[in-house]
Amino acid sequence: MAQARTTTAATTRGAVDAREARIGSGARIRGRIQGEGDLVVEGHVEGDLALRGDLTIAEGASIAGDTVEAASVTVAGSLDAEVTATGPVRLAASARVRGNLRGSAVSIEDGARFSGRLDCEFDLPPELGGSSRGEARGRPAARR
Amino acid sequence: MASTVIGAGITVEGEITTDEDVVVAGTVRGKLSAKEGVAIEHGATVEADVVSGSLVVAGSLTGNVTAIERVDLQSGARVVGNVKAARVTIADGAQFKGNVDMEV
Repeated sequence: MAQARTTTAATTRGAVDAREARIGSGARIRGRIQGEGDLVVEGHVEGDLALRGDLTIAEGASIAGDTVEAASVTVAGSLDAEVTATGPVRLAASARVRGNLRGSAVSIEDGARFSGRLDCEFDLPPELGGSSRGEARGRPAARR
Repeated sequence: MASTVIGAGITVEGEITTDEDVVVAGTVRGKLSAKEGVAIEHGATVEADVVSGSLVVAGSLTGNVTAIERVDLQSGARVVGNVKAARVTIADGAQFKGNVDMEV
């Protein structure tokens, strides 16, 4: 009871979910961010980021660092870093990304600007096998 | 709703600067500067100098505090550092070591 009252008062503007993490649009962080849980960045981060949850970079937000690691990464803002995701990486139409991307899947929407390397493991459909690189290259050629 | 929330599982090492509110439920090491209110929740750890409009502490804070309006140390708070603000309250059950400067 006393505990609940303390928490409510401490947030000054009502209850905040402790699992929630957000860098507001007026905020700038210079340094390293790490931890568990999801993070939404609406402001500006200069530094590295290592998350065990999902990372969302909102439109108008920016991250500039050496490395960004997260379970999944969704970018609608600006990102300048080497990105490693255990899950998918999505670049929305408003995204501007410089750096290499690694994820279980990568999607780039029409309008997104991206300059870097894509590192993504997937199986090519058979109809694309002939023009692809890597493992898939040998099989269709042999079939012909 | 606060503009910036450092969640319970999150650690920030460095400098946070904002013209809005900040709620810390996780860990912050470095420097924390906000034009509006800063709330350090129960269970949070802040090892940083804090400059803000106002400050409410229910967690652990090590560092010097300068607030324009007020500083409230709630029950369960643990604060080591100097506090400078026009209004300061220290609740029963709060631990505090440092100087208070109310600019009198």
